[in-house]
Amino acid sequence: MNRALRSLAVLGVALVVFGPLGLIFYQSFLSEAFFFPTAHLSFEAYRYVLTDSGFHSAFGTSLIVSLGMTLISVPLGSLLAFLLARTDLPGKKWLEPWLLVPIFLSPVVLAFGYVVAVGPVGFFSLWSKALIGRVPWNLYSLFGLVLIAGLTHVPHAFLYVSSALRSLDPAVEEAARVAGAGVWRIALTVSLPLVLPSILFSASLIFLLGFELFGLPLVLGDPAGLLVLTTYLYKLTNLLGVPSYHLMAVVALSIVVLTFPLVYLQRRMLRTAGRFAVIGGKGQAFRPLPLGALRWPAVFLLVLWLAVTVVVPLVGVTLRSLVSSWGEGVKLTEVLTLGHFRDLWGYPNLVRGIVNTLLIGAIGGGLSVGFYAIVGLAAHRWQSRWVSLLDYLVMLPRALPGLIVGLAFLWVFLFFKPVAPLRTTLFSLWIAYTVVWLAYGLRLISASLLQVKPELEEAARITGAPQGEVFRYVTLPLIRFGLMGSWLLIFMMFVREYSTGVYLLGPGTEVIGSLIVSLFGTGALDLISALSVIEVALVGFILFIALRLGVSLHA
Amino acid sequence: MKIKQKVLLAFVLGFFCFPSLRADAAESSGTAAAAQKEGKLVIYSSTDSASVEPLLQDFKSLYPFLQVEYNDLNTTEIYNRFVAETAAGTGTADFLWSSAMDLQLQLASKGNALSYASPEISGLPKWAVWQNQAYGTTFEPVSIAYNKRLLPADAVPQSHADMIRLPKEKPDLFKEKIATFDPEKSGVGFLMMTQDAKVFPQFWDLAKTLGSSHAKVYTSTGAMLEKVGSGEHYLAYNIIGSYVLLRQKKDASMGLVLPKDYTLVFSRVAFISKTARHPNGAKLFLDYVLSKRGQTVMSEKSLVYSLRSDVPGNITAAGLTKDLGKALKPIDVNTDILVGLEQSKRLEFMKQWQAALKR
Repeated sequence: MNRALRSLAVLGVALVVFGPLGLIFYQSFLSEAFFFPTAHLSFEAYRYVLTDSGFHSAFGTSLIVSLGMTLISVPLGSLLAFLLARTDLPGKKWLEPWLLVPIFLSPVVLAFGYVVAVGPVGFFSLWSKALIGRVPWNLYSLFGLVLIAGLTHVPHAFLYVSSALRSLDPAVEEAARVAGAGVWRIALTVSLPLVLPSILFSASLIFLLGFELFGLPLVLGDPAGLLVLTTYLYKLTNLLGVPSYHLMAVVALSIVVLTFPLVYLQRRMLRTAGRFAVIGGKGQAFRPLPLGALRWPAVFLLVLWLAVTVVVPLVGVTLRSLVSSWGEGVKLTEVLTLGHFRDLWGYPNLVRGIVNTLLIGAIGGGLSVGFYAIVGLAAHRWQSRWVSLLDYLVMLPRALPGLIVGLAFLWVFLFFKPVAPLRTTLFSLWIAYTVVWLAYGLRLISASLLQVKPELEEAARITGAPQGEVFRYVTLPLIRFGLMGSWLLIFMMFVREYSTGVYLLGPGTEVIGSLIVSLFGTGALDLISALSVIEVALVGFILFIALRLGVSLHA
Repeated sequence: MKIKQKVLLAFVLGFFCFPSLRADAAESSGTAAAAQKEGKLVIYSSTDSASVEPLLQDFKSLYPFLQVEYNDLNTTEIYNRFVAETAAGTGTADFLWSSAMDLQLQLASKGNALSYASPEISGLPKWAVWQNQAYGTTFEPVSIAYNKRLLPADAVPQSHADMIRLPKEKPDLFKEKIATFDPEKSGVGFLMMTQDAKVFPQFWDLAKTLGSSHAKVYTSTGAMLEKVGSGEHYLAYNIIGSYVLLRQKKDASMGLVLPKDYTLVFSRVAFISKTARHPNGAKLFLDYVLSKRGQTVMSEKSLVYSLRSDVPGNITAAGLTKDLGKALKPIDVNTDILVGLEQSKRLEFMKQWQAALKR
């Protein structure tokens, strides 16, 4: 790819990122909505937010949640990735789809699943009360919030690290094994250090996601009086009567500002990225590392994580979908019903909503991954300042909280004349989604690209292949796991998405997220639960098939 | 063909080319004809798809030529989208129907609403119509929901005075068991509380009682009803009655109290956009929603309390008036409620509220 095309790709990314971000930045310096004729330049928004004690405490709480979350999810996710990708852990084939459930389940549904299961009058809580007289845990607490946030973000770390691990040359691990190292030692000193880029990327992305959490803190934090930045933002939409865009913009920018030190740290730690490339010229059959005595402790760890993170909320959600009433004083056997599923079936636009969601996820996601691959290749093996710019650019959109992102894209498609005609088409939705998940999709591909040793591509070039063909016949096939992983992750993110495209959706393009929000408005938690059960079943099934296909491609 | 026959043929053909000129179900066939030319109607509404479905079906049977694009959005989304699209001059909703009375009146008072005297005005109370621009469409009581399983009958508050007295008499029963709206985060919650403060002299005593019983505040009706149903809370204060009715259909242990000393009545406000691209379709829909036929469907099928006094049944203004009479205090559809949108007054109320809740 020549310089011109590469620069064009980076410029393209800059344009789509600075569109919405630039508007938010501009808005923060105004006295009211930028499209009101009475708006004028003012620092009032900054003054209000930066001197508000509510903002300070919300920022502090978000910081604690993000840090705690990252410290829990990254080590656990990396360990699980190693166990499933490199060892002979029993049952890993059917385990993997379950591992990914927290990613595509709507956070509000997940949170309510916990409330139904382990809340003050949850199923498990009432059993505990009956057995030992009290409930030894408190769901509505900072600790509970951090723990659940951390555990439910393990799959994010898992996906990144596992994808990179699968591309590792087994020769390095074999060498360590031959030298007599045990599995634990190999994991800590050989495999995981080799995928340090993926570990660091997932750490910084999860840290940023911590600031963006909304559903979990809303359901679990509010009753404890805990405010995080996103729920503080939510407060700002109502506090002054009409939504105060200028204040919201300042809060959003306070999170965006965090990306700069994050990316800088990341880049510093990975300055010597060359040593991570291990897809060399020699092919070798992959033999999983035997766990031996560590087998059952490993299985126990996995099952424990699954139980707390997946089984508990899913049981909560599923039970809620099958009962007409729950909680204290309710006899389970008396309230079982299939009525909610029947009612759901009659809900307007249900089937269309589910189909739309899956199509947008699969097709839209696939197209997005294509875009990410182009951008990834543009930055690949390119010694240029533009690449460092790209590192910062891609993180920025994800730093915008959901409440703002939807507004920002509405404004972009309304007020930027060149793209305005796209607003009523699905294309605008696709652009919005692609931009927001840029960092995620791109990183999986970049991490895989890092694993490819230059000698393979050089060999192709020496035999006379032009750069384009080198990418097509050598690089792309070698990073197919990164592409597959990226497509899988993006599919699940798109399935869960709602706030990004809320103003770009319309009748005919409603998605599961909008159905859930609409149902939530009338308090139809029972229908929401039924819908979520269907969603998990469908997406889980699709995942299972995809992973089976992925596994067979590997051999 | 002779001239006379040609004229006759032309007339007959012309007659069949313009079916809208035939007698129609519409009272004003002129509007219907114009609406047919427009062909479409875009609605932004906070009434959820399931509740509105019977209304839309019935409306479609009346005007099958009209393609209705119904956007189910929450009240903030309606506002955000409408102001931005209007400012950009692109297509936006023709008909806006939202539970956020204050936001709707704000938009209407800023000149966004079309002046249209609906023929149905004669069937509506005077307080429900503002300058022929903004219309109240429902008559929904602001109620107390409670858990029949767990709250003993003598502890169920029947009035606002009870809400102050009972938690004081039985502090252990009510500790952390009351739920209500967070006025800081919920526009609807704020509106209801400021109206409470207007009508009930001891409102701040009530707020302090909520504080001393460690009441929990929420932003959504759904969350509150779910928690009352499960027993995490025993009662929820200031819940819109229509949602409790919906819940009662499935959960027999959900109780509903319409406070006897006074019950606020809240109304979903509708207006037609002044720059609507399909104003006639919007007029037809407004007339329908305000008509006896539409209000009856609303009451019987959607379980939303209807406004017109001639609608049969209990989920109606007449039904409520029979039970509560003068205790009903409707929130007038006019610019008085815009006082609540004034920043200084709003923040003042929040400060008082925070102090009362001792948070």
